[in-house]
Amino acid sequence: MEHTSLIERILRAVALALVVVFFMFPLLWIFLMSFQTNETILSIPPELFFTPTLQNYTALITGKLTSAAGTLDIAFMRNLWNSVFLSVTSVAVSLLLGVPAAYAFARHKFRGSEDIAFTLLSFRFAPPLLVLLPLTLYFQQLGLANTYFGLVWVYQLICLPLILWIVRGYFEDISADVEYAYRIAGHSWFATFRKIALPLAGPGIAAAGLLAFIFAWNNFVFALVLASADKQPVTVGALAFVTASGIQYGQIAAAIVLSIAPTLALALYAQRYLVEGLSLGAVKG
Amino acid sequence: MPAVVSTARRRSGLRISKRALPYVLSLPALLVCIGILVPFFAAVLYSFQRYRLSQPWNRQYNWGENYLNFFTDPGFWNTLRVSLVYAGSTVVLELLLGLGIALLLQKRTRLNNFISIMLLMPLMTAPALAALMWKLMTNPGFGVLSYLASLVGLQDFRWASSPSTALFTVVLVDIWVYTPFIMILLLAGLRSLPTQPFEAAALDGVPRSFVFFRITLPMLMPYILTATLFRLLDSIQQFDIIYAMTQGGPGDTLTVFQVEAYLNFFQSTNVGRSAALLMILWVITYFLSFVFIKNWLRLRERARGEA
Amino acid sequence: MATLELHNIVKRFKDNTVLDDVSLTVNDGEILVLFGPSGAGKTVLLRLIAGVLDADAGRIVIDGEDMTGVDAEFRGVGMAFQNFALFPHMDAFANIATPLEARKAPRDAVKAGVESVARLLKIDHVLTHRPRALSNGQKQRTALARALVGSPPVLLLDDPLRNVDAKLRFEMRLELPRLLADRGATVIYVTQDYKEAMALGDRIAVMGQAGIRQLGTPEEIYLQPAGLEIARLFGDPTINLLDVRPSRDGQGIHVALSGTRVELPAAMEPSVGRACVAGLRPETLRFVKAGTKGAVPVTIEAETPLNEKTVTLVRTRGGREILVSRPAGTPGPDHGEAFLDIDAGGVLMFDKASGERLAAGGPAAPRKRATA
Repeated sequence: MEHTSLIERILRAVALALVVVFFMFPLLWIFLMSFQTNETILSIPPELFFTPTLQNYTALITGKLTSAAGTLDIAFMRNLWNSVFLSVTSVAVSLLLGVPAAYAFARHKFRGSEDIAFTLLSFRFAPPLLVLLPLTLYFQQLGLANTYFGLVWVYQLICLPLILWIVRGYFEDISADVEYAYRIAGHSWFATFRKIALPLAGPGIAAAGLLAFIFAWNNFVFALVLASADKQPVTVGALAFVTASGIQYGQIAAAIVLSIAPTLALALYAQRYLVEGLSLGAVKG
Repeated sequence: MPAVVSTARRRSGLRISKRALPYVLSLPALLVCIGILVPFFAAVLYSFQRYRLSQPWNRQYNWGENYLNFFTDPGFWNTLRVSLVYAGSTVVLELLLGLGIALLLQKRTRLNNFISIMLLMPLMTAPALAALMWKLMTNPGFGVLSYLASLVGLQDFRWASSPSTALFTVVLVDIWVYTPFIMILLLAGLRSLPTQPFEAAALDGVPRSFVFFRITLPMLMPYILTATLFRLLDSIQQFDIIYAMTQGGPGDTLTVFQVEAYLNFFQSTNVGRSAALLMILWVITYFLSFVFIKNWLRLRERARGEA
Repeated sequence: MATLELHNIVKRFKDNTVLDDVSLTVNDGEILVLFGPSGAGKTVLLRLIAGVLDADAGRIVIDGEDMTGVDAEFRGVGMAFQNFALFPHMDAFANIATPLEARKAPRDAVKAGVESVARLLKIDHVLTHRPRALSNGQKQRTALARALVGSPPVLLLDDPLRNVDAKLRFEMRLELPRLLADRGATVIYVTQDYKEAMALGDRIAVMGQAGIRQLGTPEEIYLQPAGLEIARLFGDPTINLLDVRPSRDGQGIHVALSGTRVELPAAMEPSVGRACVAGLRPETLRFVKAGTKGAVPVTIEAETPLNEKTVTLVRTRGGREILVSRPAGTPGPDHGEAFLDIDAGGVLMFDKASGERLAAGGPAAPRKRATA
């Protein structure tokens, strides 16, 4: 359909190649670095061909780094567990709270529903520190400082608006007549919600849950402010890693790899859901 | 077969009045959100107080003084300037780059699909961890980028450690993380455009630049606006990347709003100033999000209408 | 199997009153057609009866029980939707079975019920298909089967034949009355097609302006329409409407057409001296030989075959156009000058300002046709 000259096609290919290199290179480099010993890392010019080692990963996983200076305890596995626990729990809670609410907003245009929806949405866009900084003070009084409960609750600020935003659109897309038909056949509103609305909105709920998980996992500032070392997820933990003394660069790279692996894997596995959630979710609302 | 069901059966089971149902369903979500409002209002109050954690006895309302002080505080203007420059440059650059990539990947080929999936990866990385990655890569001692820079004659390029190049470095990281977002959005937009105008233009032999500027771009405008507003909102309150990279340094080169507020709170323990700063930021983002949601609702109606 | 009563139903959407004080009684086992253009409130009325919408005022009574506050799942109503509203994630069998499984009927009873209805509607061979694999006609019959399977005492059919191709629509129009009569249900049938209304309905409720404009048997509606609009809605080709002002003299009430005096029966008294619109159904006009008493001279403009009729467009001396129809195959002039005989008994007179019918002519029975 188009006449693309040879020059143009070459330029396109070059441009595309540059783009791919720019975006993929850092990931590749850190991945390689995670298999390098300190000596390899520190040598200039950077070596492309080296003998890989697993010592960085073993150090992280076993939690112990033995070197000439002695044995160091690394708590990175704890950070990883925190990330998993916080993200999974937060998403589960936000789905439990958000899906019925999204249904209510979609099906019943009750008074003030648009205002409530806008307010909830605006939370998504408000500066988090505005809420977090006073919250640290309150949490200390309430005894919620550095607790999983407090953290999961605050993480709702990230997950809930997302769930509401995306899932409401999917519920609205289900024709009301289909739900009416099920009710008229003799089923209660709850049976209709369970057997008709939920299955039909399933892909949307999955997309929303996936996105919420990724945002929760990648979150940094919430945990930075409200969590102490033993409850910090990998985002904060990796940073603390860098400033700690005696840690080797290879381990930092390995920590980064372990920290981003789950979200990258999820994204690859469910990329269709993801793209739909990100783009159409933005459009479908 | 029973005609109409008797009254007895009607009352069985969980009976929630039809009118109360929507409120009951959304109540838990609402409660959570109300819980969030409490600290918000606390922050509003703090912004009107002279309040330092290190001097709790001195805490009292000084009303608009925190805000008025900003006018004469060069630190505030620096914060404002850096934030705006950061937000402006990231959004503009990401928009241009994202649009360009989306145009390159427009055709639905297996290669293009593969590439767009690959390009998702930076977006899935935690921004703080992305900053960490780039920090390692720009390390003056062993960082590969420092090495490459030296190859092209940029000896001793200090990346994030030097005031003159710090902004450039963090903007670079931001571009790396967030351009794919714009790309996805615009790609979806491009692929959803009706084909007839383009087929007609091709038939009429319309030059491609004309097609792009007069047909493609206007039709893509809602998506572009959505993407722009979305990113603007996020960029002006960026914290993760900058804090992870330099904690606001060197000096005060990168003290954007949220970073400055964080440092005020935890380093100088100046709660009042921190809160006031955040309130100003909030007003900006509230206004922007209002505009955004309006525009997004319009885009949604349009998409529904064409469905 | 049940009577249905609507008492003073009012329904508003924002500032728009869709139904204003609507009352209606449907007799046991009757098929009542709700007829009217879109927006007239027919679907809203069905939804109110089904219980998925609440009225702002008024009561709905099914078989003597007041349905106010009763949720849809307890009303014992069956409904077939215009857009089918099938459950996309279930196969046809599961779709049809939903009313039975809502009652927790045992597996075999469900199977037997579904299969029997499917056989009746000739979809038993596609029961394992998902809705997206069904043709429009099959979807429509699945929706109908779902409404019928529970043998509900009240059936609400919302324009079920609308999205179905013409041939199938014609077939179903013949099958449906028998099907519905066999079940013995009380049926409310919504349609915008007047032919469907007249073919299926025991009575027709013509809706418009937030209410019921006329309620009667198909014959009553056709031969004694309550107003201009209703007369226009029924009949194909559309009724001829001519502005006239009847006058009376020594010999009786008359109007002039093409310069010829046309006598009107005495029942037309209320129309004398008023600005009126005379309604002449095309089939009540016939061509006669020149010189017949009272014949109106016209010029033939065009002739068209229309299904089972032949329709001729003629023009009067005064320039007014009239359509005349006769059964296809009967001979008649097709060009030049011709003469029309107007049966005074078939003339409908409407007040021009209000559109209300002032009088109809003589007996309601259709005229005998003289062989030409």
